[in-house]
Amino acid sequence: MKRAVLAGRRWTSLRLRLIVVFGLVALTAAVSASGIAYWLNREAVLSRTQDAALGDFRQEMQNRAAALPADPTPEELQRTAELMAGSSPGYSVLLVEEKKDGRKVFGSAGPDSFRLSDVPKSLQDAVAEQQKVTAANDAPFHMYWQRTKPNGNPYLVGGTRIVGGGPTGYMYKSLATERADLNALAWSLCIATALALLGSALLAQAAATTVLKPVQRLGDAARRLGEGELDTRLDVSGNDELADLSHTFNLAAAALEKKVADMSAREESSRRFVADMSHELRTPLTALTAVTEVLEEEIDGLDPMIAPAVELVVSETRRLNNLVENLMEVTRFDAGTARLVLDDVDVADQVTACIDARAWLDAVELDAERGIVARLDPRRLDVILANLIGNALKHGGSPVRVSVRTEESTLVIAVKDNGPGIPEDVLPHVFDRFYKASASRPKSDGSGLGLSIAMENAHIHGGDITAENSPEGGALFTLRLPADLTAAEAGA
Amino acid sequence: MGQNVGVPFLLLIEDDDAIRTALELSLSRQGHRVATAATGEDGLKLLKEQRPDLIVLDVMLPGIDGFEVCRRIRRTDQLPIILLTARSDDIDVVVGLESGADDYVVKPVQGRVLDARIRAVLRRGERESSDSATFGSLVIDRSAMTVTKNGEDLQLTPTELRLLLELSRRPGQALSRQQLLRLVWEHDYLGDSRLVDACVQRLRAKVEDVPSSPTLIRTVRGVGYRLDSPQ
Repeated sequence: MKRAVLAGRRWTSLRLRLIVVFGLVALTAAVSASGIAYWLNREAVLSRTQDAALGDFRQEMQNRAAALPADPTPEELQRTAELMAGSSPGYSVLLVEEKKDGRKVFGSAGPDSFRLSDVPKSLQDAVAEQQKVTAANDAPFHMYWQRTKPNGNPYLVGGTRIVGGGPTGYMYKSLATERADLNALAWSLCIATALALLGSALLAQAAATTVLKPVQRLGDAARRLGEGELDTRLDVSGNDELADLSHTFNLAAAALEKKVADMSAREESSRRFVADMSHELRTPLTALTAVTEVLEEEIDGLDPMIAPAVELVVSETRRLNNLVENLMEVTRFDAGTARLVLDDVDVADQVTACIDARAWLDAVELDAERGIVARLDPRRLDVILANLIGNALKHGGSPVRVSVRTEESTLVIAVKDNGPGIPEDVLPHVFDRFYKASASRPKSDGSGLGLSIAMENAHIHGGDITAENSPEGGALFTLRLPADLTAAEAGA
Repeated sequence: MGQNVGVPFLLLIEDDDAIRTALELSLSRQGHRVATAATGEDGLKLLKEQRPDLIVLDVMLPGIDGFEVCRRIRRTDQLPIILLTARSDDIDVVVGLESGADDYVVKPVQGRVLDARIRAVLRRGERESSDSATFGSLVIDRSAMTVTKNGEDLQLTPTELRLLLELSRRPGQALSRQQLLRLVWEHDYLGDSRLVDACVQRLRAKVEDVPSSPTLIRTVRGVGYRLDSPQ
């Protein structure tokens, strides 16, 4: 579950990165193209309007304002202004004549009535300024213009003075139409940019899908391979880098499959050999076991020279029996053919019976309450207990303390001895097969498989055994088994 | 059961010469009279001629195997059968019990253990002086050691009969598998509960009207079995 979430996040992240990169590229291109287009358009539109208006105004000034008599009356000024504004509608005209006494006479006309105060001071100054006539400058007065934005509405205001005396004229043209045009243009460009972004996102999505789908397939295949489906292969199509990768994956998977097959075949054959061997050994052993009892019963009546030999045969047959029995048990676990035979048993009774059957009652202190009923395989529990207690008695010495309790739904059986404990370097290996604590240790009569078999028996119950040294000294083996294996049984 | 009550007469069917000879030797020393056969076919033939009290049967036999021998015997006979099997947790045990075996012993087998099992199985057929009990249409006559259903005699093996007797002694009381193993099979604490389950299945097939929905021998979940009169 967690892995799926992680994979999902990584998957979107790559997709996201692609989309972001595509988007950025599209955005940069669209914004710069739109910006340049907008700027050029704006300049062209404004200068055309401006040139036309100012040219017309200049013409009007020459034709009409210059024709005014010196010292015109306000009526004349007004009339001229109306004529100028009327001849070419679209802008307003303001004519200013400064009388000798400093009084100003105005004449104004046009769609936007405006006064001198609406004309920026800097423009008034520039218009009024008399320049020296030089080679480069052919007139003492020039026409000046400026764009203003009184009350947020764009206007072009221009002004000039008649050379050689006459009224100062100002024109005032609304640029609202141009602004509306330019705004419409800007909107179109914005929409175009948005479309470009959307398009790039779709493209990125498509690109991501083409790239990510094979990557995802590859990921799925790798996961299946990891889960043990070694025959997982990918279809190689095309000859791009991803196809190369798929091809490499297939080669690696094939190599892995072959190697695993080789290894398991070898393991299988050696396992089969042990299983067959122990099976083969059992037939003569069965016959031997049956007759050794007959021999045993006759020992008292035998020649004292012969009796020890017979005794040896009897005891060694029994030992060989145990060894073969344990070997078969181990091969059964290795081959996975071991089965649980479950029953509801009283654990305390079972432990008591196990100790009693082996005549260990004097050497074992049992701390167990009756009434703890667990569903388990009694024979396997007996094998575990016999191995743990037997091991404790052999290496730790009596008294061995066995305690039974339940922790939630887990049955916990602890076996603690009174011995020197287990050396730290041996502790990790106590459950290994045929592991001898030290080479100098006297040859034990155990098979060397006991604790390993105990562990396997715990595992098949879904339980575990841990080995440690108890703080008060002595080795402590703790067996933990699920108390109710009904679920495991149903699943088996 | 057998004609000679003092000396049980056994038929041992085992293909391996060494095991057959050794077991014959061992069982004879335990005081049994033993006839042997090396194959299932020979064993079946011998069975017709000699009428043993009990059969010790190896599972792995050339020709017809132990299970088949067991099934063929059960078709006509309720003779006790003990299987010799490879391993207690093998599928062999389950198949063997389903084909009608009364008990099993794991190889390599000790003569004493086998002898104890043989004697326990033979004891199941012994009569006891007691009354009879009735459970619905089922009548268990403990003194005659017969069971009738709707007046008809039922053919039960000694083990099935003993199981029914033990259950009928405590009507309405649940007995655990381990208790039944001690009472019927005389097994120690490591008794295999599959013996009980298999025997209960066989018994149900004979005494219940509908074996798949038993009204007499009920399963008590987490405990075991109990015998009740049908409601």
